[in-house]
Amino acid sequence: MNFCFTFLKSILSIYLDKTKMINDQIAAEGKEDPPSLPVITYTRFADETELKALQGLIDSTLSEAYTLYTYRYFVYQWPDLCFFARHEGRYVGVVVCELEPNRVGLFEGYIAMLAVDREYRKQHIGRTLVIKAIEAMVAKDVDLVVLEAEYTNKVALALYESLGFIREKRLFKHYGNGSDAFRLTLGIKNIMLPFSMECCEDD
Amino acid sequence: MSGSSLCGVVEPADFQAAAATAAAAAAAATRANSSSDRDEWSVSECGFMDPEVQRTMRSGSAAEDITQYPLRGWQEVTGEFIAACQELIPGELAQDMMFGLFEAMSAIEIMDPKMDVGMGFDKSDLPPPSFEAAITMGVIKLDDLTPTELIGIFDALFSCIVSWLEGNSMDQVLFTCLYLHAPAKIKDKPLRVFCTAVRNLIAVIKSIILLAGVNEEEDFQLYGNSTLLSAEKAHPGNIFGYLKEVEDELVRKCKQLTSPEDLMSVVHRLRFMRHLFQVIYQVEQMETSTGTEDRMSEIYKNLNVASELLPLIRKTIDRGTQPVEGSEAPNPIGFSTRIHDRSQPPSFPRSIKIRDRPASFQFLEEMISRFKYACKVTRNKDYFSALNFFIEYSKKSGQCILSRSVLQAIFTANLRMVHGRMPMKQFLRHSVQAFNSPPVLSAKNTVSSDPKVQQQLENFFRYCISLNTFTMFIRICGFNRARQRDKLGRLIENFDAIQVDAARLDSFMNQLANERAMEGNELHATALKHSTHFSTWVLYNCFRAMLIYLMSGFELELYAVHEFLYIYWYPYEFLVGFLVSALTRTENILLAQEEYAEHLSKTQANGGSTSKNRKVAKPRKNKKLQRPYRCEIVFYHALLSLCGGMYKAMGALTKDGRVRLPMDTFDNEEVRYIRRFRPFGSLTSPPPVSYQEFKSIRDHMMLASVEDLYSVAAKHFDQARNILENIQNPDQEVLDLLQIARTNFVVMNVLARGHQKDVKRQPEFDFSKHSYFPIIKLK
Repeated sequence: MNFCFTFLKSILSIYLDKTKMINDQIAAEGKEDPPSLPVITYTRFADETELKALQGLIDSTLSEAYTLYTYRYFVYQWPDLCFFARHEGRYVGVVVCELEPNRVGLFEGYIAMLAVDREYRKQHIGRTLVIKAIEAMVAKDVDLVVLEAEYTNKVALALYESLGFIREKRLFKHYGNGSDAFRLTLGIKNIMLPFSMECCEDD
Repeated sequence: MSGSSLCGVVEPADFQAAAATAAAAAAAATRANSSSDRDEWSVSECGFMDPEVQRTMRSGSAAEDITQYPLRGWQEVTGEFIAACQELIPGELAQDMMFGLFEAMSAIEIMDPKMDVGMGFDKSDLPPPSFEAAITMGVIKLDDLTPTELIGIFDALFSCIVSWLEGNSMDQVLFTCLYLHAPAKIKDKPLRVFCTAVRNLIAVIKSIILLAGVNEEEDFQLYGNSTLLSAEKAHPGNIFGYLKEVEDELVRKCKQLTSPEDLMSVVHRLRFMRHLFQVIYQVEQMETSTGTEDRMSEIYKNLNVASELLPLIRKTIDRGTQPVEGSEAPNPIGFSTRIHDRSQPPSFPRSIKIRDRPASFQFLEEMISRFKYACKVTRNKDYFSALNFFIEYSKKSGQCILSRSVLQAIFTANLRMVHGRMPMKQFLRHSVQAFNSPPVLSAKNTVSSDPKVQQQLENFFRYCISLNTFTMFIRICGFNRARQRDKLGRLIENFDAIQVDAARLDSFMNQLANERAMEGNELHATALKHSTHFSTWVLYNCFRAMLIYLMSGFELELYAVHEFLYIYWYPYEFLVGFLVSALTRTENILLAQEEYAEHLSKTQANGGSTSKNRKVAKPRKNKKLQRPYRCEIVFYHALLSLCGGMYKAMGALTKDGRVRLPMDTFDNEEVRYIRRFRPFGSLTSPPPVSYQEFKSIRDHMMLASVEDLYSVAAKHFDQARNILENIQNPDQEVLDLLQIARTNFVVMNVLARGHQKDVKRQPEFDFSKHSYFPIIKLK
């Protein structure tokens, strides 16, 4: 399965330039308050009308397209695990998840997609979305949370690592473009099954 | 596939609407079905159980004429379809029992150019030409090819072979070459023979890889156009002769030419193909026939010639036609890149980048030297050294599926040759003897013919085979590096059963010795004198698997910096020490046995016939062998100090606030710890180490001041340096570890003295010198 998870590189230098420019502006104008970060609200998936926004967010960050069925597979089965980040009318981030018993009977949460609009990066929107999703899973008594992330996606890897995910497996040539991926795991409960039971061959 | 006829009529506004209508149709069908009949669709009803359907699904649409649309009984359903859609609200999805995530992801949205491969073709586009079509169109040349054209095609085919071996599908690389579709129809002899050779080479390589069974889907695509491949009968035995014949003809021709350079370059390629083919063919033959020794020298000769030819070929790449810039085809003539687009499963990559020619020959050159290296496996006569060889080979050749498979083939064939009908069982028996020489395994031993003893030994080795643990360990080293770790995890759990059995066998031998002693049979009792031979042997191998499992996590970049502490702690506190003590114990056993043998010979010598006198000299000659594991033990001592250094260094850095720790919202160190050491959890020996145990040891260490911790870490690195410096004739690995030990010693000392005290930045851990140990770099 080729899932790609987003969070492309943010361009630090541009960000710094912007900050500097804003600071200069403030210095020139003297008394104005510094422009605060946009106020982001978080909402759960409501209905079909949001599907376009969802698809747009994911598509704009990925080269490979998902079929509409893939989105529907997730959002209609687990609408309460799909969160949007919104700035005024605009959808600026999304997380899409699944929660099911895995083949050894553990209740496994799966973070299928995560995307944040390029213009809204570096504001911890991705982190907040993931935390909201995991909190929702914890409320449903999840045992562990897993996902796959591309080897080169350092930003996403750092985000998940900071939340306590461990890279459990290297998936060799996992994506269509031939690049490797990691399988990340966050154990919520201290349940330990024998290795051979849980880590059987990938399908 | 059905899209083109349907959408021509409906013209949906966008893909979403199209998908919704499709969903509605499916829903209508399901409803109609369930209203008349309450039962759900079973698998058999869907037709998937039908052998005919299954065969068609497996073979893809290879049998069809790929230039034509599939000829099926199409029926117009647009009216019913639209009507059915009215019943659904937008987005409502009718989900079939069989339609899960996999189906959702591999479905295509018709007419979306990102997914629907047919959208890549313009209406005015001609379908990609097949072999026959290309002949009719006159775009393919079957006779009188110039040397330049031949070189271009040959080199492109070599690139295709390489790209195939790198995990691409046969159809998308090799069979885009139309010449390979029907070599018999090619009139030009050198081209015909070369293409026939490629066809046969594909078949032989596929068979080697399948037999070796160390491939995974990401290494090697089994999926391929079997119809095309079987269209002409394979006769690999004749290929060598064909190639030789055409080569000789061309050489004669060359002699009549004033400037034969171009033609000679063609000859070199044919000759290279001949020797490469011969190597691969011989390896395959080894699996089924005898006479391995002759074959090995034959293989070696061919490898040598092949590697001498490659520089000549690389120098003359520019004599061939070159791929057109911007074109996907690896050569201007003979290739039809999109010919199989429509027969690929939807999840397949749309376009494949074929390796360029210089890189392909580079690959072949490296592959030839990997094969040469693989031949050396026959020198390893016992499990201990064979396993060492496999582990090393995997580090160096782990990425090439064919090299890995060839090693498996040679090793298995060689085992059969040396050990006969029950190769693995005999090999293991021989290996335990070579490892720590249990007295009962010695043929001279007075009790080895005792049926009870024989039965016990037989049972043990049969159990080893039926559990497959040892065989599997060697095979696992043949898989790609990422998969090895998973498989090792499962293997480690398997060791428990065999350990129990080994311990049982050891105690049986001891008990029997006691019984014989009680009976007053001193000779038998002494002969049975037994230590923990079998369990030590099993444990040693288990420890090795554990160490590789744990350390491979560094190579695969699985560990976060904040995890380094417990990862290095385990080998430092336990694992490496276990390995050292297993090997030391083994050496002591061997030493004791030798002394005993010497003592025995002496007493016999004193009794005195001349023939016995000669035997006295024998044990003395063996004296050099007294410490057969010295090298390993010294190396493990160095590893121990390095692990200790890293463990203490991580403790110091963590306490110093220089390690980024996860937020504690969801993080739980105990859960992480248990997951990381999970495969060890089910072993009886060594017993699993609980998180609490780790925690109390770590917390105790952390009581020391940061400066002291840095200093202790420095001492460990200094110790490692000292051991490594004293290794005679160090190999590259030892030299690299030495550099790591030296650098980290300096860094730890600098930090102990309070350098950069106010800048709490996480250092960089640079694993480029060694995959297990980093150089710690302060930024």
